[in-house]
Amino acid sequence: MKTNVIFTLLMMMNLLSSYIYAENKENDILYNSLIKEIRCMVCQNQNIAESEAPLAVDLKNKVRDMINEGRDEEYIKNYMSSRYSDFILYDPPLRLQNYILWFGPFIFLGFITYILFRRKINK
Amino acid sequence: MKNKLSIIIFISFISILFFGLFTDTRIIQSPLIGQDIPTFNLTTLHSQSPIDSTMIPKETVLVNVWASWCLECIREHQLMMKINKDKKIKIIGINYKDERDDAIGWLEIYGNPYAFSIHDYNGQLGIDLGVYGVPETFLINKDNKIQAKFIGAINDNIYFNKILPALEK
Repeated sequence: MKTNVIFTLLMMMNLLSSYIYAENKENDILYNSLIKEIRCMVCQNQNIAESEAPLAVDLKNKVRDMINEGRDEEYIKNYMSSRYSDFILYDPPLRLQNYILWFGPFIFLGFITYILFRRKINK
Repeated sequence: MKNKLSIIIFISFISILFFGLFTDTRIIQSPLIGQDIPTFNLTTLHSQSPIDSTMIPKETVLVNVWASWCLECIREHQLMMKINKDKKIKIIGINYKDERDDAIGWLEIYGNPYAFSIHDYNGQLGIDLGVYGVPETFLINKDNKIQAKFIGAINDNIYFNKILPALEK
């Protein structure tokens, strides 16, 4: 009887810990993907995952805190870009100011193709 | 005719690249311009009395982010002292990620141009202000909105041509 109770208790603890583990793991995945997408403003060609600059460490802690508070990805990205501008995101959102960033290369490509084709036809 | 066009395209492309050489990539337009100063609940550096965002004076002020560990701040400090002596605009300090004793000692050595300093020990106010390169200076208007942000040490040029004209408006 006693062993049964102990066994049941152990099983319940096991379940609980795996539940907590699963939840933490989900948060870890979000955390790890977010800190790779946030630029270190002090060392601008690194993300905060790679950087140990004091501000990068602070921002990593901030991301961790916000995830623990249950904030989602969009909230956290918005939190960062509303303070540090879209430049802090490696994947900047499509906005009017960014149109040239997003479509510039395609326009350029189209333009070059046009010129090259015209040259060929003229020949 | 066709050659002319390609030369024009070539020259304009090269000039874009050429002028790109002179842009300072560290300077990033702050999305905070025109926004209210962020809310905070901290203490003042010297008296350790509580201070929050509603206690910022309703007049045009400079908010200067500084720290005793920041070498560039020493260089900027002379100008801060001069601005304070001019008495045209009040300066409020944000002591950023600094030990209280170190910060007070620093002001004793180099002089204290600040009406008061806000002690932002863990840097949260700094994050809310988008601070990444101390020293940084904010121009706050009488409605407590951020009018301009200067990253790095400010100089005479900024003081005379950007800050003082803002007072006349």
